[in-house]
Amino acid sequence: MLLHYFDLSWRSFKRTPLVSSLMVLAIAIGIGVTMTSLSVYHMMASDPIPSKSSQLFSVQMQIMDDGNTWWTKDNLPLQLTYKDATNLYRANTEGNRLSMVRSGFSIYTDSDTVKPFSKSARMTTPEFFDMFQLEFLYGNKWSQQQEENAAPVVVISEELNERLFAGENSVGNIIYLDNESYEVIGVTKNWPLVVKYYDLNNGAFNEPESMFLPFSLVEAREFGNWGNTNGWKHEDVRSFKAKLQSEMVWVQFWVELNNAQQKQDYETFLMAYMEEQQKRGRFNRKELIYSLRDVNQWMEYNNVISEDNKILVALSFMFLAVCLANILGLLLAKFLRRAPEVGVRRALGASKRQVFLQHLVEVAMLGCFGGLIGIVLAQLGLWGVRQSYDYYSSIATMDITMLLSAPIIAITTCILAGLYPAWLVCKTNPAIYLKSQ
Amino acid sequence: MLEIKPIFHALCRSKIGALLLLLQIAITTAIVSNAAFIIEDKVSYLSQETGYPEDEIFSFHVMLFGDDVSSHQQFELDEAMLRRLPGVIDAAYISNTPLSGSGSASDFSINPAPEPGLSARTSYFFTDDHALNTLGLELAAGRNFNESEVIVTDNNEQRANVTIITQVLADELFPDADALGKTVYLGDIALKIVGIIKKTKGPWLKDSRPDSVALIPYINPNISGNFIVRTDASQRAKLTSTIEDEMLKNYDKRVIVRVRGLDEAKESYMAQDTLMMRMLIVLITILVLVTALGIFGLTLFNISKRTKQIGTRRALGARKSAIISYFLVENAMICSFGLILGCIAALLLGQLLMQHFSIAALPTSYIVGTAIMVFVMSLLAVFGPARRAANISPSIATRTI
Repeated sequence: MLLHYFDLSWRSFKRTPLVSSLMVLAIAIGIGVTMTSLSVYHMMASDPIPSKSSQLFSVQMQIMDDGNTWWTKDNLPLQLTYKDATNLYRANTEGNRLSMVRSGFSIYTDSDTVKPFSKSARMTTPEFFDMFQLEFLYGNKWSQQQEENAAPVVVISEELNERLFAGENSVGNIIYLDNESYEVIGVTKNWPLVVKYYDLNNGAFNEPESMFLPFSLVEAREFGNWGNTNGWKHEDVRSFKAKLQSEMVWVQFWVELNNAQQKQDYETFLMAYMEEQQKRGRFNRKELIYSLRDVNQWMEYNNVISEDNKILVALSFMFLAVCLANILGLLLAKFLRRAPEVGVRRALGASKRQVFLQHLVEVAMLGCFGGLIGIVLAQLGLWGVRQSYDYYSSIATMDITMLLSAPIIAITTCILAGLYPAWLVCKTNPAIYLKSQ
Repeated sequence: MLEIKPIFHALCRSKIGALLLLLQIAITTAIVSNAAFIIEDKVSYLSQETGYPEDEIFSFHVMLFGDDVSSHQQFELDEAMLRRLPGVIDAAYISNTPLSGSGSASDFSINPAPEPGLSARTSYFFTDDHALNTLGLELAAGRNFNESEVIVTDNNEQRANVTIITQVLADELFPDADALGKTVYLGDIALKIVGIIKKTKGPWLKDSRPDSVALIPYINPNISGNFIVRTDASQRAKLTSTIEDEMLKNYDKRVIVRVRGLDEAKESYMAQDTLMMRMLIVLITILVLVTALGIFGLTLFNISKRTKQIGTRRALGARKSAIISYFLVENAMICSFGLILGCIAALLLGQLLMQHFSIAALPTSYIVGTAIMVFVMSLLAVFGPARRAANISPSIATRTI
């Protein structure tokens, strides 16, 4: 029966090609516009590490004395001071944790074929690779021992390995970073990250760094910070040592807490730490505040999805509503014109339900066509977005979820629009039309 | 004359179609007026005056890795070399490129820290006496730095003691007096104001205070530094393509990155807003087209439904113009109701956006403008089908189906 309805729908489509095409076009445009903005939104909002996004927490502490303000909505600085990060890292607590800072270097090798170039690097403790699930192509991360000794070792990305060593196993090779030699001990697999969730300070959609080095090198070799350094009170900081001791915040700190108990323990520990620091003359404030935000909360807190994107999505859905009203009007016109024919069918014994279903199938078919063309239009729109703003190149794409939801949204929209006209037409009283024939 | 009453009664007989049209017009008005307001906001942000001759300036970043030279001396040599290049008007070392989105900012106060006092968040550039000329900035009062005031150093103990600030910042810190000759403090560093720039912008156009800028004559580059070069606009492309080689010829143990025009730096900083503006323009254009199509389609349908009725009217003596005006008036009536609803919806949407996002209140002029535009558009969409209706032959009335 359903096949028969499809056949009828196709015939009806061919009978009024202009109106039908107009309807398909209206849906396609509506879907195209909506899917373009929704895809960008979807990619921005998608969970970057679904298997453990609720176990990784970014640590914030209110280090400022009473009376100081920050620009975040809860007044908390986004990063920690060097001394707090080091203390928290060394503390005897359960669960993985890491400190990190973004830096960068000029790179060259002993080979003359590679012209020196510069790349950003992540100075971090070795837990980074496990916590953020970075896999190795060759070699491995540095040991805890090497971390403590500030060993001159480096893990490079697959891409950098391609550029420096033509993709061969480079473990054991030497590269020069700002004129100092480092031994390559690992090569990580490509890390397809849409949102750089572990460091949202400088562009949430930037590529991950292509080098990873022990965090302890920051102090040992006085590396500059390529991320943000923020102070909140007057301090006379004239040397690197003074910066390490200062109240300036520039280190990012994450912990991995696997269950509620661990989280609670860690919160207790943080509070105790702050109270102890308070006794030493820091944290001059009435209320001690800390915050643990998991990956998704952290992205929300850092406004990964910009205001503009939210407005666009809202406006696109209103746009879809206009298209829906448009389709509804056209459907009404089309179906009611067909009332005499329906009258005959009804007289010949078709039930109201059958007539209703037949028309819904027709509408769903229109929606399906519209959805498919809409995907093409959305691809065009996303292409335009990528052309206009290459920073969005990894976000302005449709993943499988979006590809599947385009026809679903289209068909649902159309069926919603078709309900009333279909109901109207199935109510047709056959007698009237039979008389006038 | 316009036969409003009979038209209204006729409309009441096909409520749904009219209602749908009305709804479309309402939503369209709401979206278009709000989107147009956001677009206008973006356009004025994107096209603002920066005070720089952007097409004559380019900048690049140098990362030094060789340790057989001292960076501050090397950068002095580089500056001299850059100024000698044919086509270069002037060149200067600067800690960050203006308009590029990266820079430094701190509170400038009229009292030394930690003493409290009137202060203002200021973005500052460490640069030298060539910055004013290179950036094409005009002084409202005072003078440029002397060569002797520029501190070139590699230790953190030496400090600058003069500054040039913008008029905006001067007015903010010294509202009642002439700022020239006064002293401002960056932390505990005293800086005497020797010059006041008429107008310029800092590194962040989106900052809450993009116009509060200070230049400080201090060069302590460590291992990386930034240069700005001013050329003749026609020579810029040629110079940007050769600058890396020229710099490496001077000293080769370094990497030159981010060679780009000041306008390019600004464009990439603004890219997200440009994108939003373009998307909104596309959105409202298509939206208006879809709505026009909707009106067009519905009128066509109405006419085909009423062919016989129109023929009868013509047979009874109605002129063609009467038929056209019938459809125009009918549409105008639907449209007017739609617009009333649309204006209310636009206000509500504007308020909603204002509550949730950092968007100013929607001015009524945008709603009125949009309403007029939608009205005209709807009349245009109706006019074609109405003329077709007017051409229906009266003889149709005499035939049965």
